[in-house]
Amino acid sequence: MRRFLRENGLSLTFGALFLLTLAGQAFAGRAQVNDERLADGLEPVSLLAFVTSSTFGVDVMENWQSEYLQFFLYVFATVWLVQRGSAESKELHQVGTESDEEQRVGEHARPDSPAWARAGGWRTTVFSRSLGLVMGTLFLLTWAASSVAGWAAFNAGQLRDHEDPVSWADYLGEADFWNRTLQNWQSEMLAVGSMAIFAVYLRQRGSPESKPVGAAHDDTGETG
Amino acid sequence: MARMRVGPVLVTGLVVALLGAGCASSELPGVERVATLFADPDGDPAERCDLLAPATEAALTTDEGVPCPEALPGLPIGAGAVRSVAVWDREAQVQLTDDTLFLTRTDRGWRVTAAACTARPDRPYVCALEGS
Repeated sequence: MRRFLRENGLSLTFGALFLLTLAGQAFAGRAQVNDERLADGLEPVSLLAFVTSSTFGVDVMENWQSEYLQFFLYVFATVWLVQRGSAESKELHQVGTESDEEQRVGEHARPDSPAWARAGGWRTTVFSRSLGLVMGTLFLLTWAASSVAGWAAFNAGQLRDHEDPVSWADYLGEADFWNRTLQNWQSEMLAVGSMAIFAVYLRQRGSPESKPVGAAHDDTGETG
Repeated sequence: MARMRVGPVLVTGLVVALLGAGCASSELPGVERVATLFADPDGDPAERCDLLAPATEAALTTDEGVPCPEALPGLPIGAGAVRSVAVWDREAQVQLTDDTLFLTRTDRGWRVTAAACTARPDRPYVCALEGS
């Protein structure tokens, strides 16, 4: 058990932190909504009613979609774009999808390579892009969920303000949808861009997200 | 950059995101029933007032200076057939042939927050009866 915890500490810790912060968001979000409802002369809602509401749904989904967009773009962009000196970038001469030998696919697969890396054909083609495909799919799904939950929350607000509800297609043209979307996207682009640059000049001893402390600033692609 | 774990919670999130629409459809009969009872001009004024949201009833009695059952019959509330019902989360709108009503869900069931409403292009309805 102790060994399992040690060997999976990263995913278990972030999984637990995710659940804790999601619960915190539920409590804080409910408090905010109830403040607004009381100010409007409406009854407060229970925690269960809040976490099953479109208000909570869109607040969660709008953040999830941008996180998956960030990783989707980063996975694909780092195939073709490099950053001299950054631990987040590969070597400058490795731009592109690289050779089969470098990627250990097909006849270059090793005994411990995944079966689909060795299989060739469509299976190797798909497996070679599976990380980006899954991230991209998750982004599209969560963005779609964000649009549906946002639509419901927007229409609830419309009715609360004594205005007509709108169709889903009309909601996609509303400022509310694009403000929610873009405010999350911009923060992800900032985080990725700044990390790529910070990793050139700054170090975190022992972290694989950083170069070794003594690595030169123009040493690209090394992690330690 | 930290690697994010892709978890099965995504499915749960999608279900939660779509839950509102699913629940809303089951609320339609209740919303329509309250709106119809409230808009019935032959109904008991006291019972109709019980169907008002507290803030709306309070605004009416304050504005008119008389109890709700006395003030309500004087308002231009429609009594036509129901044309459409829309429910989103805890809010609802009922379109009658001659009026538009807005409702909210309370612990006592659906209650009317606004009635005798007239539409305005790109602006909120103007309502003769609504909470302050």
